Amino acid sequence: MLEIKHTLCPSCSVGCGINVVSHEGDVVGTYPYKRHPVNEGKNCLNGRNSIEAYKNKLESAIVSNSDVDIDKAIDEICSNLKSKDSDKITVFCSGNNSVEDIEAIKSFAEANNYNIASYADNIVDIDGEVASYDDVEKASKLIVIGDVLYTNPLIGRRIIHAKDNGADVYSFTPEGSVTANVSNEICDSIDDVLNNFGDNLDESSVILFNTVNSSEDLDKIKEIADKANSKILPVFSKCNSKGACEIIKAQSKEEFVELLNDTDLLLVFNDDLIPEIDFDFGSISTIVSFVPCENSTSNASQIVVPVKSWLENDGSFVNAMGETQTFSAVIESDALGVDEVIEKIQNKL
Amino acid sequence: MSYVLAKSKNPDIQEAGECGGAVTSIFKYLLDENIVDGVLALSPGDDIYDGVPTFITDSEDLIKTAGSYHCAPTMFGDIIQKYLSDKKVAVSVKPCDIRSIDELIKRHKINPDNIFTVGLNCGGTVSPVTGRKMIELFYDINPDDVVSEEIDKGQFIVELADGTEKGVKIHELEHEGYGRRLNCQRCDVKIPRKANIACGNWGASDGWTFIEINDEKGEELIKGAQKAGILETKSPSQDAIDARLKVEGIMIKMAKKNQDVNYEKVSGIKEWDRCIRCCACRDVCPICWCYENCELNKSYFNASDVPPSPIAFQGIRLSHMSFSCCDCGQCDDVCPMDIPVSLIFDKLQKKYQDRTGYVAGVSDDVKPPLYSPAKEEL
Repeated sequence: MLEIKHTLCPSCSVGCGINVVSHEGDVVGTYPYKRHPVNEGKNCLNGRNSIEAYKNKLESAIVSNSDVDIDKAIDEICSNLKSKDSDKITVFCSGNNSVEDIEAIKSFAEANNYNIASYADNIVDIDGEVASYDDVEKASKLIVIGDVLYTNPLIGRRIIHAKDNGADVYSFTPEGSVTANVSNEICDSIDDVLNNFGDNLDESSVILFNTVNSSEDLDKIKEIADKANSKILPVFSKCNSKGACEIIKAQSKEEFVELLNDTDLLLVFNDDLIPEIDFDFGSISTIVSFVPCENSTSNASQIVVPVKSWLENDGSFVNAMGETQTFSAVIESDALGVDEVIEKIQNKL
Repeated sequence: MSYVLAKSKNPDIQEAGECGGAVTSIFKYLLDENIVDGVLALSPGDDIYDGVPTFITDSEDLIKTAGSYHCAPTMFGDIIQKYLSDKKVAVSVKPCDIRSIDELIKRHKINPDNIFTVGLNCGGTVSPVTGRKMIELFYDINPDDVVSEEIDKGQFIVELADGTEKGVKIHELEHEGYGRRLNCQRCDVKIPRKANIACGNWGASDGWTFIEINDEKGEELIKGAQKAGILETKSPSQDAIDARLKVEGIMIKMAKKNQDVNYEKVSGIKEWDRCIRCCACRDVCPICWCYENCELNKSYFNASDVPPSPIAFQGIRLSHMSFSCCDCGQCDDVCPMDIPVSLIFDKLQKKYQDRTGYVAGVSDDVKPPLYSPAKEEL
């Protein structure tokens, strides 16, 4: 039977709504969710392609490159956990997990004295209020760091609206990029755009960024925003990074690499660290991945446990502007949720 | 062509329907008699501003599709083509829905024998988020308190739970940048005469639906529903017929005015330089059906070229299908960069219409002239 159901797009932290089309029990397409207040039925290509994850779903657990049933994989995980010192075990989660899953992961790590790590685009210590999307639209001046129109188009659209409303837009983005095309001024570096235009900001201005190279960049963004009484809006690459940061303090890349250096057993929940973190993951004796479909990190893992994809899950995300959004499963699934997998492991420890 | 006034004989459907429940009753007849596998219509999602396309296979569930949604600018042509082409389907269609279905039939993507089309007269649709904002701003009403909305006598009218109504003139709303979607403001096809029947309240007395029967299949629909005992009918007076035509004429006149004003803006469109090449406009277009074989996917297009050259990127689509553009506005709705895509496609269709007489999804030609021997004459 053909069904069209509402859910949230998982492809970045903007929090767009998306309709998913299922037919005869299979996910077959997307359809605009025009009633959704964040994106009004508009989705970028990444968002529309996010259903591809369902098509590549893992069908069974894997231990040492062989398919096994879930219980066998859980036994293997527990045996590994028992054989290591707890301070050599690191549990990693990120904005790819729902609020509820992150809370379950945190409780699990704390109960067993494991290290817990979270990483959000090298953006750390973003506490307190950030700009809302309405603030962006109504801003008098915007400093934009990154090609936000291309990477996060549904925030980019708010920049366009701000520009239409008369805002000045100063950017650090490649010349010729779509963000550059709507900017009054383009700069060659984060430092340049902050130094040259930071003094122009006022209390109705916003510094919007989807990339920082270092904690110094971030400190400078915060300092300039504080001085002008402006707001900032970090736009994360993962849908629930803001929510994750509120539960587990995000680490800088340097801090995370330091922790990995001291890790013998790494449990990765629903993420692909290898393309993102420059580290020799082969130096970790055992990696366990809990993922809905295979990725570079699961391919390098000794144990892989399939978990529900976002399409099969209920829960909540916190979007970039700090608004909690709930979502419901759009298709039935036999896969275990992260919370169910954790419960199974905990029961056997 | 003939006319009839109709209403449901089922009290629940009559109560739930916008104009006596004739449309829902006709769907019930088709399902109960196993003439179709299912009915494609809108049912409520988050609220009255959210119409979700729903495929109903049990007539008991039809009641939730009764009523109208002016804030649900959906498109059914591509849903039928992509997912329901192997089913016998009854579908409620706005003019742009049936125009896209007609174009897809011409392209052999929908089998006309498999569908029953119940047209809904359309004065235009409002985007749901815009609709809510405009009710807050111009009506001083919490949009969550609205139980129904309609477009009538040039006004967008909302009704509250206590039965009170408030209306604001559409042209006032549109002057302030609210009201109907821009493509709807330009649309000059208000009655879906390519559907088997075209239904609406124009010219109808309260509690009745005015139905224009457009073909033999439509005639059979009405007769079948009557025979099944679910539809009551009577003949409309000449005054009712005239009143309906007058409403249609006024709306077409308004549309033509909007066309004149807006087509001039095409040459000044600067928004192409923010195109992110996401292809949402192509992917949502009910007429575009080449999918992986689309020229835009070919290797000679540099995929990293963002923004793409509009002459190459939009030019390909314009040359492939603008003559069949039914101005449904879906491309505008889904563009993340708010590029007014439909304006140029619609303008080109109108130019094509001026040269060939071909109106996309309306003309009876077997194919658009560029697909036919008439190409040589152009």
